[in-house]
Amino acid sequence: MAGSGNAHLRPPGEVVLRVEDLVVEFPAGRGRSVHAVSGVSFDVARGETLGIVGESGCGKSTTARALMQMPPPLRGSVRLDGLELTALRGEALRRTRRRLQMIFQDPISSLNPRRRVRDIVAEGPRVWGAGADRVDEMLTAVGLDPATAATRRPHEFSGGQCQRVSIARALVLDPEIVICDEPVSALDVSVQAQILALLEELKERYRLTLVFIAHDLAVVKNVSDRILVMYLGKVCELASGDALVERPAHPYTRALLASIPRGGLGLPPADQLISGEPPSPVTPPSGCRFRTRCPAATPLCAAEEPVMRRIGTDHWVACHHPQETGEILKPVEAPQVARAPEAAFPQPAEEAEDARVPKSPKVPKVPKVR
Amino acid sequence: MRRRLGWSFWLALGWITLILAAAATADLLPLPRYDETLVGPPQAGPGPDHPFGTDGLGRDVLSRVVYGARVSLIVGIGAVLLGVLFGAPLGVLAGYRRRATDAVIMGVNDIALAFPALVFALAVVAFAGASLLNVLIVLGVLGVPAWVRLVRGATMVFSEREFVAAARVLGARDRTVLWREVVPNVSLPVLSYAFIGMAVAIVAEGSLAFLGLSVQAPTPTWGGLINEGRPLMEDAPHVVLIPSFVMFLTVLAFNLIGDRLRALTDVRQSNLEPVRRRQADRLPARPHHVEEDVLLQVADLRTHFTTARGAVRAVDGVSFTLQRGRTLAIVGESGSGKSMLIRSVLGLTPEAGTRRGGRVYLDGQDLTELDDEQMRHILGTRMAAVFQDPMTALNPVRTIGTQVMEPLMVHLGMKRKAARARAAELLASVGIPEPARILRRYPHQLSGGMRQRVTIAMALSCGPDILFADEPTTALDVTVQDQVLRLIRRQREERHMAVVLVSHDLSVVAEWSDEVIVMYAGKVVERGPADSLFERTRMPYTEALLRAVPKLTDPAHHPLRLLPGRPPDLAHPPSGCAFHPRCPYARERCSQEEPPLFQAETLDHLYACWYPVGTGAGVVETSPELSGASGTAEALKAAEEAAELEEAAEAAEVVAEAAAELETTDVIEGADSRGR
Repeated sequence: MAGSGNAHLRPPGEVVLRVEDLVVEFPAGRGRSVHAVSGVSFDVARGETLGIVGESGCGKSTTARALMQMPPPLRGSVRLDGLELTALRGEALRRTRRRLQMIFQDPISSLNPRRRVRDIVAEGPRVWGAGADRVDEMLTAVGLDPATAATRRPHEFSGGQCQRVSIARALVLDPEIVICDEPVSALDVSVQAQILALLEELKERYRLTLVFIAHDLAVVKNVSDRILVMYLGKVCELASGDALVERPAHPYTRALLASIPRGGLGLPPADQLISGEPPSPVTPPSGCRFRTRCPAATPLCAAEEPVMRRIGTDHWVACHHPQETGEILKPVEAPQVARAPEAAFPQPAEEAEDARVPKSPKVPKVPKVR
Repeated sequence: MRRRLGWSFWLALGWITLILAAAATADLLPLPRYDETLVGPPQAGPGPDHPFGTDGLGRDVLSRVVYGARVSLIVGIGAVLLGVLFGAPLGVLAGYRRRATDAVIMGVNDIALAFPALVFALAVVAFAGASLLNVLIVLGVLGVPAWVRLVRGATMVFSEREFVAAARVLGARDRTVLWREVVPNVSLPVLSYAFIGMAVAIVAEGSLAFLGLSVQAPTPTWGGLINEGRPLMEDAPHVVLIPSFVMFLTVLAFNLIGDRLRALTDVRQSNLEPVRRRQADRLPARPHHVEEDVLLQVADLRTHFTTARGAVRAVDGVSFTLQRGRTLAIVGESGSGKSMLIRSVLGLTPEAGTRRGGRVYLDGQDLTELDDEQMRHILGTRMAAVFQDPMTALNPVRTIGTQVMEPLMVHLGMKRKAARARAAELLASVGIPEPARILRRYPHQLSGGMRQRVTIAMALSCGPDILFADEPTTALDVTVQDQVLRLIRRQREERHMAVVLVSHDLSVVAEWSDEVIVMYAGKVVERGPADSLFERTRMPYTEALLRAVPKLTDPAHHPLRLLPGRPPDLAHPPSGCAFHPRCPYARERCSQEEPPLFQAETLDHLYACWYPVGTGAGVVETSPELSGASGTAEALKAAEEAAELEEAAEAAEVVAEAAAELETTDVIEGADSRGR
């Protein structure tokens, strides 16, 4: 996994946001650095929802911040409609940034406790010298009554209502892309469903493009068209939600799915798919970053980093030994190491007690067209 | 919002207003001049002509105290203003800009702090002369480094908050972000510290005056008055005592105001905190049969809090039994009372403002009859608990080893060496690699999953019969959650103990428990074996919760069935069935009569509903589904109206907050009690 490469990117004309080889590092003292995001690439087409999923420390929130240039990434490119954001500074960046908006995880912390709800939502128009005429419309759109809600302060609201205010604040500037960073993980299940439904509704109404970041795969799948799985600052797998759940190819995706209680996917128990603790992002493993916890790891995984390659219709994986997904398509980019097709399904030593009995790799199955 | 400042605040404010008014209008008051001698007999005590008496030269002490207040207040307020004027902008700049700006400002600041303040003050006053202005400038300048530090700290805290990031995302310039988002939040702590700073400046001026280094005679100052009165201490003590007392009261008043203002920044009052009053009376328990051969029986358990807004029934008549080798899950949303229920079983609810009722039997022994000491022993050896945040359960400054060994040495009387060996075994048994090395580590050096393993090892150290796990995996990643829950189940099987698992996550509950209790508004609304409860759900609330969770097997953009509204206000729960305002099946009877627990066709499956789902009573006349795709806004709007905007939110929060508060204190207490 721990993959790099850009094979999965679509032609620039088709996408509104294109991120290439994003690298973000933070100083960790003594001259070392935290490799938070290491060469992540993805793109989002207009009107699409890209879900980014992964566990804590996988760099998904850092990626979100890097898209906003807060702070700008160390290397890599972020293009919004072809405009390179990483090259912008000062006033130009400030003007462009408003086209992207963010919704944060903590509904309480993301609202200024000293300001009234109306002022919070009206801040965007005020900054840009526009009138506050859209404020009431936005409050109504997110399911709040402007008459009673607007003059209150955030602490008078529940977490779900605060998140509605955050959404209104983000949408009032009519952004092209909204980045949702774990917008529902602090909420109760009933409120979570309300917010998810609201996001879907607003996406339709305002023709939004969403980047939806969360750790809960079921939540991400519910709202996303495509899902990007990240691990320790790298990309593992990219596919439609259905393909990812039905034919997970990356060992980490499989472990993630198997860990979900009552997932109902017929995967082996999670403890057979993943072991140990995530390694430190200060000294990440060589080659594939998942190899230290992967039951299928071989010496190749330590020696060489896998790159993203196509294994199905719009299904991409960065793994030397992906799980059979029915039909193995030839990688679009020439692989650095030429291998016989069998090499894609080696029998690692751990396989002895592994319940993952490889199904016949030779039976070609036509991937479902959606 | 109503905020309580307390009578002490208003008393203090009154005193300062009085002093300020007196000092400002001293020339207009019917007082003798402060330097007029022999307005009365020298050294006369307080009397009708001279309420504070006279000093050695027959000058009126009241007049001198009032005029002296001018110097004290000018220096006190002026020095603080000067400090804020220079310190606050530097602090905001350092805290907001960080990096090089911060390094330079704080570097200079640290050097300034290292400079001996008193020597500086003495030197300046000695060279430049002891005038009011000089004293003011010296004290003001001396305060600047402290202001820089304070403002920088507060700025840093708020700059980290997401609303600052949100403002920058909106395209606000730094200046706008600072003025609108950061400064208003920093100003309250600054104001509170300003009052404390004034008290400090007044004391400092007094000390300088006492040394004769403040404003020179004949201008009276409080410190000067005390100094002058010193020789008369035996004959006319009032000359010293009265200015001392006035100064003491003033300093106290400034401190009190500062303190109360700071309390405002820390605490958010919802009027639902338990009132600080001890209540010994117990709520009566309904008659019940004490069952034999069950490990744990809870009968009609009640925990009510007396709050400013009325009685909050956090746990209201809960009964259940638990057998060895079984896992009982308690599930519900925040504010449902699930955490409070297990705290009530463990006897860990706060003393003040709490009324309890009902019984808890462990192997037939009534735990509610035990005194604190006996209960501590039970908690140490027979019932153990693991909470959501392992970091609060572990002492950050002690090694893992000392913390795991402590209960072994205290409860089981092990020697140090044996305890260390046993601790290593325990850590190994919960799947911690290299236990000997981990024993020497500190909690912050471990990952969240490892820390939770350590707290589980500690909970298991004395071989408990029941392990209570309150949201043990909510703070953990899903792959780690799987590991921890697997570990708890394996331990349960190996030790033949029972587990009580509290969770908001229905899928966790469905996968890892044998029996389930669903709570709503402090009551059990459905209870039964996990399979029966999830497959033949009867209570509409349980059904709604199950449907609100996205499923992996559903296609993308699958509309979720919404449960409108929020949990009810526990201080004013709805009449009848507490769920009826949110229930799609509710009819008239639901708002009038509270449903008892009915027996479902499956054994041990109970539900509290007049028109249960999946039965003849429930299917008839079901209201149209509130589906996610259509009418979301309408449904939400209806929900907004149905649930009172503010109260419900607060009610939900207060229990969550109370639980969070308890978590921090009780976990530590719990750990300690195991230790002692």
